[in-house]
Amino acid sequence: MITITDLEKFYSTEEIKTIALNKLSFKVNQGEFVAIMGPSGCGKSTLLNILGLLDDPDGGSFVFNGEEVSKYGERQRANLRKHNVGFVFQSFNLIDELTVFENVELPLIYTGVKPDERKKRVEEVLEKMQIMHRSKHFPQQLSGGQQQRVAVARAVVNNPKLILADEPTGNLDSSNGNEVMNLLTELNTAGTTIIMVTHSEHDAKYSNRIIRMIDGQKVTENVLV
Amino acid sequence: MIGEHFKIAWRNLKKNKVYSFINIFGLALGMATTILIGLWIFDEFNFNRYFTNHDKIGQIYQNQGSNGDIGTGEFMPRPMEFVLRESYTDNFKHIAMASNRESQYLKYKEKNLSRTGNYLQEEGLKIFEPEIIKGVENGLIDKNSIMISESTAKAIFGNEDPIGKIVQIDSGDNMIVTSVYLDFPVNTSFKDVHWLIPWKHYVSQSWLRNSVSHWGWNSFQIYAQISDNLSFPKVNINIADSKLKANKANADYNPKIFLLPMKDWHLRSVFENGVQSGGRIENVWLFAIIGAFVLFLACINFMNLSTARSEKRAMEVGIRKAIGSDRKQLITQFLMESLLVVALAFMISILLVVVFLNPFNELASKEIQFPWANGVFWICSMLFIAFTATISGSYPALYLSSFKPVKVLKGTFKGGKLSALPRKILVVTQFTVSIALIIGTMIVMSQILYSKDRPLGYNEAGLIQIPALSKEFNGKSDLMRNQFIASGGAIEMGTSSNPTTRITSTRGGFTWEGKPEGFQDSFVWTEVSYDYVKALGMEIVEGRDFSREFATDSSAFLINETAQKYMGLTDPIGKLLKYPTPNGSEIEIKIIGVVNDVITDSPYSPIQQQFYVFDRNDNNDYYNLRLNPDKSITENLSLIEKTLKQNFPNLPFSYEFIDEEYAKKFAAEERVASLAMVFTILAVIISCLGIFGLASYMAEQRKKEIGIRKVLGATINNLWLLLSKDFIMLVLIAILIAAPIAYMVMNGWLQKFIYRTEISWLIFISAGLGAIVITLITVSFQSIKAARANPTKSLSTE
Repeated sequence: MITITDLEKFYSTEEIKTIALNKLSFKVNQGEFVAIMGPSGCGKSTLLNILGLLDDPDGGSFVFNGEEVSKYGERQRANLRKHNVGFVFQSFNLIDELTVFENVELPLIYTGVKPDERKKRVEEVLEKMQIMHRSKHFPQQLSGGQQQRVAVARAVVNNPKLILADEPTGNLDSSNGNEVMNLLTELNTAGTTIIMVTHSEHDAKYSNRIIRMIDGQKVTENVLV
Repeated sequence: MIGEHFKIAWRNLKKNKVYSFINIFGLALGMATTILIGLWIFDEFNFNRYFTNHDKIGQIYQNQGSNGDIGTGEFMPRPMEFVLRESYTDNFKHIAMASNRESQYLKYKEKNLSRTGNYLQEEGLKIFEPEIIKGVENGLIDKNSIMISESTAKAIFGNEDPIGKIVQIDSGDNMIVTSVYLDFPVNTSFKDVHWLIPWKHYVSQSWLRNSVSHWGWNSFQIYAQISDNLSFPKVNINIADSKLKANKANADYNPKIFLLPMKDWHLRSVFENGVQSGGRIENVWLFAIIGAFVLFLACINFMNLSTARSEKRAMEVGIRKAIGSDRKQLITQFLMESLLVVALAFMISILLVVVFLNPFNELASKEIQFPWANGVFWICSMLFIAFTATISGSYPALYLSSFKPVKVLKGTFKGGKLSALPRKILVVTQFTVSIALIIGTMIVMSQILYSKDRPLGYNEAGLIQIPALSKEFNGKSDLMRNQFIASGGAIEMGTSSNPTTRITSTRGGFTWEGKPEGFQDSFVWTEVSYDYVKALGMEIVEGRDFSREFATDSSAFLINETAQKYMGLTDPIGKLLKYPTPNGSEIEIKIIGVVNDVITDSPYSPIQQQFYVFDRNDNNDYYNLRLNPDKSITENLSLIEKTLKQNFPNLPFSYEFIDEEYAKKFAAEERVASLAMVFTILAVIISCLGIFGLASYMAEQRKKEIGIRKVLGATINNLWLLLSKDFIMLVLIAILIAAPIAYMVMNGWLQKFIYRTEISWLIFISAGLGAIVITLITVSFQSIKAARANPTKSLSTE
C-alpha cells in the first residue's frame, strides 16, 4: 500500500540545516498495523505528516496505493487525504464548537456525502464506538477517553484505507488507553491499515511490526508474532 | 453546508462575548452612520423630485459681464418674458413669471398671520402642478384671487371651509380664496410657498407699471418647462443671445441667458465668473466620503479583531484541513461567519437609525422618514450587507485559511512578528482617518468663529428691524421716530429700503466725473432716512451724515469706503452722480459723506460698493431701531409695540433682532460643522473600540510574559508602559501622516472664502494630543488590569 524509498526531509534556518528524515525506506502492506518508535526528535512525527499527505518530502519517493505522490501539490494531496486517510491525534483535536455528532460528521461533509447518508453513517460509527449516547454533547463535556473515542470515530467514518495515529494514548490513563488500542486493533482486524507513532512499548505490542528510528533513519524493524 | 457555517459562527460569537460585542457593535455603529448619511444624501438628490416634470423644469438665469467679472443671477427684466414667448416659442411648453419669495400678512377676522409665498402667472400652475385638495384647479384666473396651502388654511380658518372666503393682504386688498393645495414637501424649493396670488395682481401695482418695458430692472423670476423633444443644452444654445438681440443697449454687459435645470437648483446653484462651480453638492460629497470612511474604520476593526484572534482558531483550521477541508471551503466558512456578524450588526444599526433619526433630522434640518416600505432601500441594504461582509471578511478569511496544518496541529502555533504588521497598518490607517477628521472639523469651526468675529461695521447688538407692513407707513418715518424715542423703548431710529442683513437691490448705469470709458458699474442701492447711520452705529469717515438742516440733502447720498475706491474718487465730497430712473429720466445726486464699510450680505465675501441714498419719498421698507440700553429688551419691545399699535392698530407687531438675523448666515456652515463633528466623534469611538479589543487580546497574549516580569520585580507602571507604548507609537505615526494630508485638504477648502482664517499649528497639536490621550485611556484599562493580575495564575497554567 505504501512504499517510501530514500525519503528525505530538511528544515532550514539562516544558520542551520536540520535533517529530519535521512534517506528513509520501508514498505507498509494493506492491512498491516505498524508501530513507529524512537526518541524525541528522531523524525517520527515528520514521517507521519508525510505519510498522511500533510507535508511533502524534500527528496526520495513516496508511492501511495500505486501512485507516486511525492511531487503532488497541496490540492492533490488534500484530495487524496480526505478520501483515504483518517487521523487520530494525541490531543484528540476535536473542534470545541461542534457537538460529538458534528465532529464525526465533518469528514463526510468534506467528501460531499448527502445529509441523509451522513446521518446514517455517523450514527453507525458512534454506536460502534459506544459513544452514541453523548452525540449531542460538546467535547469539553467528555472525559479524555470519550474524546479519543470520538476522534477515532471521526477517523473511520469515511472508511479510509489508512489510519494514522500519533501517540493516541499519550493523554489517557492506562484504562482508557487500552480501550483505544483495542478499538484500533478491531479496526485493523477488519482490514484497515494502521500506522501508529508511539513512545509506549506497551502500545507498540498491539502492532504486528515495529520500526525504530534514530536521527531520521530506520534502525531496526521487527515483526511481532 | 451554509447552515453548518452559520451554526458554528453563532457558537463562536457566544463563546467570545466581549469580542463579539466589540465587533458587532462597532460594525453596527459604522453601518448606522453610513445609513444615516445615505438617507441624507438620498434626500438631497431627491430634492424637487416631487414635481412630475422635474426633469423638464428650469429657471431662467443670466450671466452679465462687468469689468472682466461675470455675475450670474436669476432676476430678469420683465421684457424677457415677451421675448421668450414670441421669439423662442418652440423651445418651451410653458413659461411663467413670478415675483421673489415674499412675506404677506393674511388677515381674516381676528387672525393675522405672516406667511411667505409668490405672485405667479397661471401657467406656473401647469409647470409646478400643486395638488389641489379644495376649490378649483386654476385658482389664479381672477386678479383678486389667492390660493393657499393646507397648513395655512388650517391656521387661518380652522375647521371652516376656506373656499370663497375673503382674506386681506398687506396692500389692504381683499383676496378671495379660490383653492387650497397640499403643502409642498420640505425637500422642495417651494416648501415655504404658502400662498399664490396672480401675477396680474402684482404688476397692477403702480410702482411696477413701468417695469414692463424696462430692460435694466432685474427684479423678476421666470420659470419654464422646456418642450418634450428638447434638452436643456439645446434650449440654452437657442436662447443664449436672446437678451442681447432684443436689447442692443445691453451689449456692454454681454448678457447670456440660460435655463438652470430644476435638478441643479438645490445642489449646483453656485456660479463663479459665469461658470457653474458647484454648491451644496460639495457637502454631499463630503458626507459621502465621511460615511465611507466611518464604515471603512468599522470594517478595519472587524478585520483586526478577527485576525488578532486567529491564533486561537489556528488549531481548528489545521484540523479541518487534516480531515479534508480545502482552502475554498474554509474561506467560505469564514466569509459566512462575517456575513452573520454583519447581518447582526445591520439589524442593530437599523435600530440605531430609527432611534437617532429624529435628532439627526433636527441637526440636519431635514424631515427624513425611515423608508420601511421602499423596496429599493431593502435591496440596497442586502447588497450593503454583502459588500460589507466581503470587505471586512475577506482578509481574515484569506489569512486564516492559509495556515498550514503541519504547523498548527502541534498546538504551539504563534504568528510571527510579521503577522502583526497588517494589524498595525490597519490601526494606523484608522487613526489617520480619525485624526484627519478631527483636524478638518476643528478648522471648519475655526473658520466659522473667525467669520463670526469679523467686525460688521455697525453695532448689531440691541438693534431691531421692523418691516413696513403696509403703505400706511409711508411718509411717517420722522413721526414714528419721535414717538418711539418718546416712548422710551428706543434711543434712535432710521429707515431703509433694504434689510440690514441682505442685499435686495443693485443698480448700474451711473455716470460720474472720471468714470472710465466702458466701465460697467454696479452698486448696492439702499434708500435711507435721516439718522440711519446713527441708529446702526456706523461711522462717517469723511464729510457728513444727512441732516435736517440742509434741505438739499433730499438729493444727497453717502457712499461707503469700497465705493470710493471702486469709483476712483480721491476727493469724493461734493461730487455729482447721475442715475437713470425706471421711467427713463435722469436724476442727479451729490455725495455728502463717506461711511465705513459694513457687512450687508455674506460674511465670507468682500464688501460691495454701496450707495446710501436719501429716501426723499419716505417710502421706507424697514424701521431700524436702537433699543434703549437702560431698559430690558422685554420692556423696550413692549413700549415699541404699544407705540406701533397706537399708529397702526390693524397691523401685527413683527420684528427681527439684527444680531440673530446675522447669526443665521452661519447656519449652513454650522450645520455642516455639527454633522462633521458628530461623525468625527463616531469615527473616534469606532477606532477606540478596535483598540480596546486589540489591547484586551494583546494583554491576554502576553499574560505569561507579564507574570514573569512581575516575579522579576516589574511595577504596575513598568508594565502599563510596556503594554501601552506600542499603541502610542502607532498613534504617533498616524499623526505624522494625518497632519499634512488634513492641512492640504483644508487649505484647499479655505481658498473658497475670500475672508478666511489662518490654519493654526495649535489645531494639529490639540488633535494629536487628544488622540494620544484617548488612546491611553482606552488602552490603560486593559493594560492596568493585566498588570495587576496575579502572576502565579498565568505561570501555573504553563
